[in-house]
Amino acid sequence: MRSCTMPEHEHVDLQLLLQSLGDYAIFMLDPGGRVMSWNSGAERIKGYSADEVTGRHFSIFYPPEDIAAGRPARGLETAAAEGRFEDEGWRVRKDGTRFWANVVITALRDGEGRLRGFGKVTRDMSERRNAERALDERGRLLAHLVQAQEKERRRIAWDVHDDTIQSMVAVGMRLQLLASQLPGDHAEAVLRLNDTVNAAVGRLRNLAFFLHPPGLDSGGLVDTLSGYLEQVVSTAGLTYDFVPDLDEEPPPETAITVFRICQEALTNVRKHAHASSVRVSLASADQGVHVKVGDDGVGFTDPGDGSSRMGHFGLIEMRERAEISGGWWQLHSSPGEGSTVEFWVPAVRPRRS
Amino acid sequence: MSAAPDRLTVLIGDDQPLIREVLTEVLTAEPDLDVVAVAADAREAVRLAVRHLPAVAILDVRMPGGGAWAAREIRRLSPATRVMAFSAYGDSHSVDEMRRVGVREYLLKGLPNSDIVAAVRRTAATS
Repeated sequence: MRSCTMPEHEHVDLQLLLQSLGDYAIFMLDPGGRVMSWNSGAERIKGYSADEVTGRHFSIFYPPEDIAAGRPARGLETAAAEGRFEDEGWRVRKDGTRFWANVVITALRDGEGRLRGFGKVTRDMSERRNAERALDERGRLLAHLVQAQEKERRRIAWDVHDDTIQSMVAVGMRLQLLASQLPGDHAEAVLRLNDTVNAAVGRLRNLAFFLHPPGLDSGGLVDTLSGYLEQVVSTAGLTYDFVPDLDEEPPPETAITVFRICQEALTNVRKHAHASSVRVSLASADQGVHVKVGDDGVGFTDPGDGSSRMGHFGLIEMRERAEISGGWWQLHSSPGEGSTVEFWVPAVRPRRS
Repeated sequence: MSAAPDRLTVLIGDDQPLIREVLTEVLTAEPDLDVVAVAADAREAVRLAVRHLPAVAILDVRMPGGGAWAAREIRRLSPATRVMAFSAYGDSHSVDEMRRVGVREYLLKGLPNSDIVAAVRRTAATS
C-alpha cells in the first residue's frame, strides 16, 4: 500500500480494484483514526457516503459499549505495535442498526518506518454468523436458564387456565344458580360471593397472560404485543403508536424474546419515564426482527449501553436476552428527551452445542 | 316434561367435569332449553352431535381433540347444528381458529349465567 512509490498506472488500477470490491469495506485512517479514503464496499456495508464520512473518527462505526470500553483506540494501538490487529464484533451502520463484522487493521508505514496511518478492511459476517454461531459456555447456560424459565412460566400459565380458572368459573356459575333459588337476603350474600370469585378469575387471567401470553406459541407476536399495549399501556394513561412491519411472523423462540424485552421496556416507560406517549415499531431486518420502543418521558442521564444503570430497571436482563439469542441491544437517552430501547434479534434458532 | 317443539336442544362438550355439570344445570333451569348430550372430548362431541342433531353445540376450545376440529366435523355432519365456543382463552388466535371453522359466537368463561343463556338463544337464532 505504499502508493507514493508506485507508478501512476498501477495507482489507478489499485484505486479501481478497491472501488469495485463491494463485499469489503476497505478504507484508510490517518494516524489519529480519522477516515481518509472510502470505497464502494464501505458505502454499501456501513451506509455512509465518502463525503459524509471523510475526516470523521472511525469510532462512529462502533457500538457505544465498545467505545466506553476503549476498543477502537486499543485496535489502533495493537495494530501500531504489532503491525496488524484482527477482531470480530458488532459494528454500527449509519442508520443505527448493527452488523457482525470481521475487521483487520493494518499499520501503514513509510520507507523510514514512520506511521502514516492505517488500512482497515471490514467484512459483513452477519449471514454466516446467523448460520454458524455457537454460544460460549456462559451463553449456553443463560440460554438454558431462559428456556427453562419460559417453560416453567408456560406450564404455570396453562395450569392456571385449565385448572384453577375453570374450577373457579364453575364455582361462580354454581353460586349464581344457588342465588336464584334463595330468598332475598341470602341471595344477595351469595351474589357478592360470586362477584368476589369473578374478580379473582379476572386477576388470574391477567396473571396467566403475563406469565405466558397464549398467542406467542402460534405465530401471534404482533397480536400479542398489540393486546399487551392496549391492556397495559393504555390503562396506564399513555397513548401509544404501534408500527408492526414484519415480512413474516418470527419463530416462537424469537417471538418470546421480542415480547419479553418489549414487556420490560414498556414496564420501565410506565413506571419511571413520566411519559405521555410511547411508540413501538417492529421491522424485518437482516434475517431478524429490529425493534424500537421509544417514549417522550424524562430520559436517562446516561445514554449508550446504560452501563452505570445496568443494575436498575431490568436493563441487564433486556440486554442479556437479546445477546444470548444472538442479537444486540441498546439504550438511547438524554435528559428531557425521552428514551429509546432498540434491539435486534435473529429469526433463526442459535445452535446450542 | 314433554318435549315441546319450540324447545332448543343443546349439546355440551367440555373436558372439565365441574363445568359440564354446572353448565348443564344452568341451561336445564331455563324453560326453553334442553341439554340432550354431554361430551368430555372432541370425538365424543361429534359422535353425540350426529346422534342427537342438537340445535346448538357449546364447545370448549381446548378440549382433547380440539374444539375447532369438533366444530368443523359437527357442521359437516349435522349442518343444522349451530356451534358456540365456550373458552377460558380469549386470545385472538383461539378466537380466529374457531371463526375459521364457522363459529359465530365465542364466549369467555366467567361471564354471568344470564349472558351464557342469552348467547345460546342468539346462536340458535342465527341462520
